[in-house]
Amino acid sequence: MTVTIIVISVILILTGIFFFLGAAVGLLRFPDFYARMHAAGKGDTLSSLLVILGFAVYQLHDFHSLSHDWPTLLVILKLLAVVLFIFLTSPTATSALMDAGWEDNVKPIIAEGRSNHLEDDCDDA
Amino acid sequence: MNPKLYASIAVIITGLVLLYGISDFPTFGDPRSPANSGVEGGAPSTSLYYINESYGATKVPNLVTSVLADYRGYDTMFETVVVFAAGMAIFAILRCFGRDDEAVITAPTKSSIDGDHNRIIVGTTCRLAVPVVQIFALYVVAHGHHSPGGGFQGGVMLGASFILIALAGNLNDALGRFSERSYMTLASLGIIIYAGFGVLPQVLGKNFLDFGVLEKFFLTDGPEMARSHSMLGVEIGVALTVMSIMFAIFANLSSRGTLKGGL
Repeated sequence: MTVTIIVISVILILTGIFFFLGAAVGLLRFPDFYARMHAAGKGDTLSSLLVILGFAVYQLHDFHSLSHDWPTLLVILKLLAVVLFIFLTSPTATSALMDAGWEDNVKPIIAEGRSNHLEDDCDDA
Repeated sequence: MNPKLYASIAVIITGLVLLYGISDFPTFGDPRSPANSGVEGGAPSTSLYYINESYGATKVPNLVTSVLADYRGYDTMFETVVVFAAGMAIFAILRCFGRDDEAVITAPTKSSIDGDHNRIIVGTTCRLAVPVVQIFALYVVAHGHHSPGGGFQGGVMLGASFILIALAGNLNDALGRFSERSYMTLASLGIIIYAGFGVLPQVLGKNFLDFGVLEKFFLTDGPEMARSHSMLGVEIGVALTVMSIMFAIFANLSSRGTLKGGL
């Protein structure tokens, strides 16, 4: 049981670190502001969630009874609160940054022969 | 000729001076350095005194809080006064009443994230987040004795929650919840609370900020718990001042002193 829980938590943390790496590579290699924010926003949110969930699962590894181990349960609840908070705020911050970039006329890079359909949506703005 | 060249020379000289200063530091973990002396044997020192005695004298498990708010109460009180003075300086320099000059006209009246669709996303998230931030800030203030935290940290969080309201909607939303009259009153009230905790022992015939004699007020057994409770009161005063001044500085800077619209 203990080994299973530790293996699950290690898998979660390693997956999170993998997505962190992807976010970092995307942030450096993507061509324009919007693609970079896409990598940073998505990758950062998912990887933070996975790593912290891994920590929360790891806390269960010597959990025996509710009456004896309630401080461990408290730690898990705090970690889950952090997960919830990141899940709410990180995509919102990404959205606000994207919108600020759009309103400051940061132009996205668009392939030859394709039109930017976002321009049509925002004509009235 | 080249400003970057002069800047580089200044930076290099400053860096060399700082590096030269490092050479006078004691090595990391040196048991004979002033901060560590007495911890691993040797002559008794102030740090060893705090580690051994402060819990018995104040009943506060967090050494940092007991040193900050009781042993060095003067220092912390005037730190709070410095924060207050910074806010007053910003107010005195920037605040302008009823002048419709060029600065007012060119000040943006709409938030940059005030678009039609994004206001829903950002506004909803901030509406969910602000109460959580404020409750956690109150926890940090009230729990400063037992865990890292205290008045400055909790006050900054409380101030940031109001700044978040201003950023998510506009400044008028935040000023509706926390008006100029309120934050000026609360900033002064924080200082008065701190200084009041200093003056009360004087009235009872002890030194300024000598909290031990307040046991009669708090109905506690012994001066140690009176010190602990007084530290909580002092932290609340600090939190009020820091919260108000944080928001006052933001409101004045972002609206160029007009408190109308703004960022």
